[in-house]
Formats: sequence, C-alpha cells, structure tokens
Amino acid sequence: MNQSVVLSEDIADQIHRVLSELRARTQAECVLLADISGQLVESLGSSEEIDPVLVAALAAGELAAIAELARQIGERRASGSLLHEGKNRSIYIASVSDTFVLVVIFSTASPVGLVRLFVRRAAELLHPLASQFEEAIRRSNATLGTDFGTALAGELDEAFGGM
Amino acid sequence: MFINWRLRELNLKIVYYGPALGGKTTNLQYIHSKTDPRIRSEMVSLKTRGDRTLYFDFLQLELGRVAGLKPRFNLYTVPGQTYYTSTRKLVLQGVDGIVFVADSQAHRLEENRESFWEMRRNLRELGYDPESMPLVLQCNKRDLPNILSVSTIHEHLGLNGVPCLESIAIRGVGVFETLKTIINLVVAKAQQQL
Ligand SMILES: Nc1nc2c(ncn2[C@@H]2O[C@H](COP(=O)(O)OP(=O)(O)OP(=O)(O)O)[C@@H](O)[C@H]2O)c(=O)[nH]1
Ligand SMILES: [Mg+2]
Repeated sequence: MNQSVVLSEDIADQIHRVLSELRARTQAECVLLADISGQLVESLGSSEEIDPVLVAALAAGELAAIAELARQIGERRASGSLLHEGKNRSIYIASVSDTFVLVVIFSTASPVGLVRLFVRRAAELLHPLASQFEEAIRRSNATLGTDFGTALAGELDEAFGGM
Repeated sequence: MFINWRLRELNLKIVYYGPALGGKTTNLQYIHSKTDPRIRSEMVSLKTRGDRTLYFDFLQLELGRVAGLKPRFNLYTVPGQTYYTSTRKLVLQGVDGIVFVADSQAHRLEENRESFWEMRRNLRELGYDPESMPLVLQCNKRDLPNILSVSTIHEHLGLNGVPCLESIAIRGVGVFETLKTIINLVVAKAQQQL
C-alpha cells in the first residue's frame, strides 16, 4: 500500500471521531461532512427520511450561493454558515477552511446556541485536516490500479447495458 | 474526484453544461427513470415554476464494487439560461468531467458557441485547464428538422478530437452512451497520471 492510501485512511478516521463527538454533544439526529463540491465524505445517524447524499449536494450549493451573495454585496469573506429553523427539525450548515461543508440536523428542541458552539469546536478540529484532505484528493487520482478502467467499463455495461 | 479509503468509495463529479433548453435536465431524468432504484438517489431539481433549471439538478449513481472500490457518480446539470451565469460557475466547482449538451438546431448554433466559451472561461477562473478537462460533446435533438451535422457543430466549437455523440434525449437515444463515454474518459485521465 502506498503512502497516500494510509494517509487518507487516517484522515477519514479522524473525521469520523470529530463527527461522532459533535453528534453526541449536540444530540443531533444527523451530522455529515461533504467537500465543497458537494460530495459526501462522512455521515453519521442518517434516518429513513434523510438521504445524506442529497443533503450534502444541497448544503454545498447553498453555501456556495451564500458566499457569492456576500461577495456581491462587497463582503470580502462570507461568515460561512447558515441556519434554517424548521418546525420539527433544524439544519445548520458551516464551511470549514473552504474545504469542507459541515451539516448538523437537529431537533428544534435542542438549543441552537449549543449547536453553534459545538460546530465551532468541531470546525477547529477539522481545520488542520483540510489541507491533508486536499493533498489526499490530489493523490487519489494516482492510486487507481491500471486494471480499474477496464473493470469499470465492464461494470458500466452491466449496469446501463441494454438501455 | 476523491477516494474515501475508509469506506472504499470513489467519488466523481460530472456536470452537464450547455445552452438553455438544450436537454441537460432531460438527460438526467432519463437516467433516473431507467436505473434500478437500488443504485441511484432521488433526483433533486432546483427549478422555476416553468420547469427551467434555476440552480442545478442532482442525481447520484452508485455501482457495486469495482477492483475493491465502490464508484459513485455525482451528476449535475447547470441552468442554461444566460441570466444564471454566476450559478453555472458555482456548479462547476470540483468537476471531474463535462458533458456539453449542444442543441443541434441550426438557429441555436451561436448559443452553443457562447455557452461553450463561457464554460471554458469559468473553468479557467476556477483554476482548471479547459484543454485537459475530460469532455464529451453530445449533439442533442437529432429528431428535429433543420439540424446541423455533428461535424459542423464540432468544428464551430473549435473542438479537436473530443468524443462526440448524437442523441435524442427525450427518447433516451444516446443518453447512456454519453454517460459511459464521459466516465471512461475521467477514469482514463486519472490513470494517465499514474
Ligand atoms: N425534440 C426534442 N426535444 C427535446 C430533446 N431533449 C429535450 N427536449 C425538450 O427540450 C426542452 C428543454 O429540455 P431540458 O432538458 O429542460 O433543457 P435544459 O438544458 O435542462 O434547459 P435549462 O434548464 O433551461 O438549461 C424540453 O421541452 C424537452 O422535452 C430531444 O432530443 N428532442
Ligand atoms: Mg435544465
């Protein structure tokens, strides 16, 4: 196994620990982390009704739109967080180091202030992982085996074949 | 693209780009309607009341394990209306491969060209090299009268050696072929960097 594989496995473990802690502290229903392009990195506590993949894509889009809006009104830096307070569930979205999107879905019974506080702490822990994550992304391209393309083409034919 | 080694997942982002009403959303709708629900997410469409894309459409496909990795394809469309130029750039963030959906009708040629050049500009502004970005040209609406030849469209976009497919997205013709072609290109490019 080469270096980058070991490295990113380690990052994933650290992310997992930060998210578990965040979820426990906030008693959130679901906590997830995506990269800024909206691809899900890790999620904890999804329910039947919540699809973390869709939440990740939408949350990243939402943050990107807010950051652009902020830029349009002359703000140099967007605060990088958003809160939607619902009737039963609320959702808090925060950007971490322009690399990650952190999402917490929690019951409206939980105090928002608490969620904000623990998200800020989690963001501090995730911050040093961001650059390692970026590096791992750059290197993951180079970790596909040469037979991968052929195997994938076969799998695609099977999944989409005859359509 | 990123690989989550803990979960053994390979994530790819593919964006359908092109002029308004070219058929980008129709491509995703067809893919959504024809794939086994076990391998795809719901399709999310952020659209106007008139069914035009306002922000993006999103659909994820997930295959079984390939060489120990589970490939996940995140498919997005951009809103084609000229008005939404800044939104298109946001959707391109983190893109691994692009399907350019051109409208084959003769009177849409200029719009195809404008959209294509805007796409290249957006890519550059995001720090990508448009020349090395995996790209497939899909010439859509081949069922309509007054369409241009594929080679004319290809040439007008200033393309050279970019894979080009004909499609009738409303009937699904060429839709999966296009998707397979772009996925294979993205993976081939990743392997070149080995
Ligand atoms: N005749 C014909 N019509 C098509 C074809 N593909 C799409 N359409 C129609 O073209 C119209 C626009 O299609 P969309 O898929 O919504 O186009 P779009 O590119 O997503 O448009 P925007 O969201 O505005 O950018 C719809 O009425 C489709 O039914 C095709 O192959 N042939
Ligand atoms: Mg659309």
